[in-house]
Amino acid sequence: MLVIRPLQENDLEALYAMAQSAGKGLTTLPADRDLLRRKIRHARDTFDQRCAPEAGLYLFALEDTDLEQCVGISGIQARVGLDEVFYNYRLSVTVNASRELGVHVRTPTLALSNDMTDTSEICSLLLSDSHRGGGNGLLLSRCRFMFLDHFRKNFSEKVFAEMRGVSDKNGRSPLWDALGRQFFDMDFTQADTLSGLGNKSFIAELMPKFPIYLPMLPDDARAVIGRVHDNTAPALKMLQSEGFNFNGMVDIFDGGPVVEAFIHNIRTVRDSTDRIVMIRSRSSAPRQAGEDEVMVCNGSFHNFRVTTVPADCVTMDTISLSETVARALEVEAGDRVRLAPLKDKGLNPTKNHRDTNRAGWSSRA
Amino acid sequence: MWLVRPAQPGDLNAILELAGGIGPRLSSTLPRKDEALAEKIGQSVRAFEGTTDPAETLRFLFVLEDIETGLVRGVAGIDSRAGHGQPFYNYRKDALIHASHELGVSRRVDVLYPSHALTGHTLLCAFTIDPQLRGTDAFELLSRARMMFIASHRHLFTDRIVVEIQGVQTESGEVPFWDSLGRHFFNMDFETADQHSGALSKTFIAELMPPNPVYVTLLTPEAQAALGQAHEKTRPTYELLQREGFCAGAYLDIFDAGPVLEARTDSLKTIGSSLSGTLHGTPEEDGELCLISGGSKAQFRCTLTSMSETLTGNIKVPVKTWHCLGLDAGDAVRVSPL
Repeated sequence: MLVIRPLQENDLEALYAMAQSAGKGLTTLPADRDLLRRKIRHARDTFDQRCAPEAGLYLFALEDTDLEQCVGISGIQARVGLDEVFYNYRLSVTVNASRELGVHVRTPTLALSNDMTDTSEICSLLLSDSHRGGGNGLLLSRCRFMFLDHFRKNFSEKVFAEMRGVSDKNGRSPLWDALGRQFFDMDFTQADTLSGLGNKSFIAELMPKFPIYLPMLPDDARAVIGRVHDNTAPALKMLQSEGFNFNGMVDIFDGGPVVEAFIHNIRTVRDSTDRIVMIRSRSSAPRQAGEDEVMVCNGSFHNFRVTTVPADCVTMDTISLSETVARALEVEAGDRVRLAPLKDKGLNPTKNHRDTNRAGWSSRA
Repeated sequence: MWLVRPAQPGDLNAILELAGGIGPRLSSTLPRKDEALAEKIGQSVRAFEGTTDPAETLRFLFVLEDIETGLVRGVAGIDSRAGHGQPFYNYRKDALIHASHELGVSRRVDVLYPSHALTGHTLLCAFTIDPQLRGTDAFELLSRARMMFIASHRHLFTDRIVVEIQGVQTESGEVPFWDSLGRHFFNMDFETADQHSGALSKTFIAELMPPNPVYVTLLTPEAQAALGQAHEKTRPTYELLQREGFCAGAYLDIFDAGPVLEARTDSLKTIGSSLSGTLHGTPEEDGELCLISGGSKAQFRCTLTSMSETLTGNIKVPVKTWHCLGLDAGDAVRVSPL
């Protein structure tokens, strides 16, 4: 069984191995033991409420309970840009027009911005190769929306994600070569690594502060602005289906887009609903491929748990969980849990009961 | 004999011909349309007569005339205030150091800032000469006659003086700096923009020019190479102005990135070295060749002459020079060595 839980100190080696195999492009989780150890400690402090809510870094582990090992990680940073400066380029348009000459020219412009400051970011998604497929990536990503929903007061109204931009297999980024490199004599991969080690704002301070007129950049650089790396296309699609949209901001290094959504508009949040736990004594039937699954989470801040169960466990008021699942979720019979559909197009069992919920015991808006 | 004198309405056609004859590759701020040029000559006539509205810029236009043939072979101008009450646009090339103590790096970043700082300075402009006369004494006479005029009408001009030099343009007429920058915003070719800038109000520049500073490193290599470089054909002009005491500073033309030369008016060679004296005659014709000017405002004339000077401030020149200047013995004149 796969369960989402807060990241722990003993996940370090598994995390290091995943970071190593992920290689370039994953800026927020470089394969650096000290840094990962610091991140884990930060996450522990967050879940144990030893740091201020706005300083929180929520890192979730996907644990394979059979292997007793962390096979994936995903995260939420409560607020960006508070202890360092958070930079993006805003893709805007400058219009120069002369009535006298009948000229009207639109110039796309990149303007340095700190607009994302104080906004919550979802980040650091990493899944071990052995566990790709079967909706595990969805669980790892979407469990965060359930957490955001449960603890909204700890986050901003909006949440965003920076998507990895275009670079070739040698780690060459056309935008970096045309722009960043002109101001900071360094390879993209090198800059990217430095930035993962927490030096991004230092680098940003070396970047051009005045708006950049796009027509002055070479075609290949312009073409990648706001576009994602091929490997990231599925992640973008997933976020789009959750209601995330490009917000006009791009990464200052590789031009990757920033997508954002209001938490209350995220599909997982909108489609989630509460149920009362019933424990059934017989162990659950083996899952069949293609069967619809729902995510179930407990409501614990310190020990947030999410797993998936077949949709047919859900009835109008209750959800029946096996003892193993209940134990994994740390819930008991009579506890309230929240569920949400795992897949985009899967039959949504909760939706059919929506009206009933409103009329019934559910107090959720 | 060559004579520089104020332009007259009758010079219109000759000037038009000159402006057209220099070819499209060498631009000048002279308008190429009848009405616009007539208006410009009119402004000059009013400036020389002293009937210009006090709020307006004095815009003097001089012509180089071959007095044997009566043909006009060159034009040169002075605007007492660059911009004529409107902003005078330039780029100022400046540098920023992008440095990070933490990362141990430091990099110089060149930036072009839009600037109006030269607005209101006296501007030498509209220099146009028959290509055959480039580099000759007549060429020097036409250019420096303006300094002689300034020397004898110093109160009309500011303490700093500037002149724009045409920038790099290829054989086929492309302007690398324009193609890398201006074209994107003005959506027209260089020549059209340049003509507009001579003929129209400068408002269109304000409307169309990118309002933010421009990073040099993002320009094409050709455009970067053209920054502050003079057009090959302007080399004689450039060198003459350098000898005169002009220096290229931080300012560049916004269209072609040609250099803007600057000087303190009083330290210009012609102005500093010219001598005033009274006109006297001499039968000799083999003295030192000098610029000589006389006459106030509309009567201003400047020509080349051989001269022998006496210690008492008497300037002895051949009588034909008198005629050329329209002056008589005892009149005040100014001379400066060629």
